[in-house]
Amino acid sequence: MSSVKEYKCPSCGASLQFDPPSQSWKCHYCLAEYSKDEFDKHSHEEHLNEDMPDLDSYICNSCGAELIADDTTSATFCIYCKSAAIIKSRFSGRFKPKSVIPFKLTKEQAKQIYSNWIHKRILAPKEFKQKEEIDKVTGIYAPFWLFSCETDGFIQGEAKTIHTWRSGSYRYTQTKYYHFLRRGKARYKNIPVDASKKLDDKFMHMIEPYNYNEIQNFSMKYMSGFMAERYDVEANEAETIMKSRVEDYMEKRLRSTVIGYNSYSVNSKQVLLSDITASYSMLPIYLLINKYRGKDHIFIINGQTGKVVGDTPISPLRQIVFGLIVFAVVWIIAVFGGALFV
Amino acid sequence: MYKRISIVLLAFIFVFLVAQFGVCAYSSDNVIDNLGYLTESEVLYLQGSIERIKDNYRLDTVIVITDDTQGKSSRDYADDYFDYNGYGVGSDYSGLLLLINMDKREAYISTNGKAIDIFTDKRIDNILDDVAQHLSKRDYYQACCEFINNVKSYANSGVPSNQYRVDTERNYFHRVLTMIKSFPVYIVALVISVIATLVVTFSSKGKITINYQTYEENGSFALTENRDSYIRESTVRTKIESSSSGGGGGRSSTHRSSSGRTHGGGGRKF
Repeated sequence: MSSVKEYKCPSCGASLQFDPPSQSWKCHYCLAEYSKDEFDKHSHEEHLNEDMPDLDSYICNSCGAELIADDTTSATFCIYCKSAAIIKSRFSGRFKPKSVIPFKLTKEQAKQIYSNWIHKRILAPKEFKQKEEIDKVTGIYAPFWLFSCETDGFIQGEAKTIHTWRSGSYRYTQTKYYHFLRRGKARYKNIPVDASKKLDDKFMHMIEPYNYNEIQNFSMKYMSGFMAERYDVEANEAETIMKSRVEDYMEKRLRSTVIGYNSYSVNSKQVLLSDITASYSMLPIYLLINKYRGKDHIFIINGQTGKVVGDTPISPLRQIVFGLIVFAVVWIIAVFGGALFV
Repeated sequence: MYKRISIVLLAFIFVFLVAQFGVCAYSSDNVIDNLGYLTESEVLYLQGSIERIKDNYRLDTVIVITDDTQGKSSRDYADDYFDYNGYGVGSDYSGLLLLINMDKREAYISTNGKAIDIFTDKRIDNILDDVAQHLSKRDYYQACCEFINNVKSYANSGVPSNQYRVDTERNYFHRVLTMIKSFPVYIVALVISVIATLVVTFSSKGKITINYQTYEENGSFALTENRDSYIRESTVRTKIESSSSGGGGGRSSTHRSSSGRTHGGGGRKF
């Protein structure tokens, strides 16, 4: 059994890849199209429940060249023949994802989004606005832990109502003090936490939310035509991040029920989590990393919803020019406009 | 130039002669009532007060009541009347003139010389408040008395410490030059450009669009305990300070009259 999986078109034998707009698999040579059910008939789902040993190197099924892959790369392309190559061991056993949200945005759409975004960044250096740079946008299935849990929590503190009125030449301010307590419970579902050290947690958090109505059981077939990473952040590490998020959500939820006061302050609180479950999932992103003056600048698009986050490289020269232009414009407005009113 | 002025003067005198011929009106040197609103004793009383102001504060005070300003605006008429009739004390012709223009139902105060500094825009406004109140009730004598009393009290308190003059008629080019030389403009432009650059530099990251309810399962939230208990109350009483609008704003707006002299002043409809 080969350690690298490549899905081939049942009609012509060329590489078969997932097509986001039709949510089916398309052969770019014979233009045949297969839905998930049709495709499953030709190529049976492999259940990789056992851990498979990681190898030092992997060979492309189509041309026999060695694949370029680092420790966490799970799906990639052969750099010689461009065939999609899926490294099975990295989807096996403990690395077998439970679910996947398939890509909805095509690479062309992602490039267009990046191009629009970078052209609005007036301080970005010109080289990041060129076509060769835009072409580097890559579709990646990123590993996420999806946490679900029950919560029980309370907040308590002091609240005030303030009432003022006038009588004669005096103003009266009446302050009433109350003690309040709110205890509640809630269930949180599918809180995503970035499970890859390579990807910046802050940006991965910002591309949320994903629409979970479109979540599918995992199949390696969805990986065909995209890059994929396996997790290298264990579920228990990710849990601490999730916990602090849930504590914050629950506190805010409880605070939203403190109404009818002019002001209040919380002086004690507690949120307890139970029934925590973590499910391993692959979520789609488009990624572009711009290297500029030795620093990485990340650009990410949510591969399902198209939401954009990113960090623009800043050209100091453009910053100075921009600053000078603003200075000149403000100065001209102040001098010629101000002279009208002096 | 002199010829034109003398023709204007002759026209003035002629008009006054005709006007005085028509109505029986009493006038003195400083109280010119063309419409006969004031009695002789009232005119004499006002003239007396005006002379005391002139002696004590070296300010010439003039009151003109007319319904014919020869097509001039109240401001120009008041300025010219003061300039061309030899009013004013000292080399800077200090003094002020109250014009009651019945044609346009407008009261206008023109200040000259030292009076420009004493009677700031704010003070002129206050005087006009008082005067217009009586004028709208057709109480002309009371309006004049109110004017004289105000002049006395402001003349007595002198030039406010924060007084400054603003020439409202300096030409645009001249004001642009002052703005170019003004240091705060550079500071404002520098601060705004630095802020704008920082905002553009740090604004591009994207924002968090999820909130505390995004991952909450619908309908799963329930309050199991909800308590609000009254502890105590307190009431504080504070005296409301009556906001006195005294003095503030030391601006005296100035302009130039047809004679070329600088005047201050302000007007009010009644």
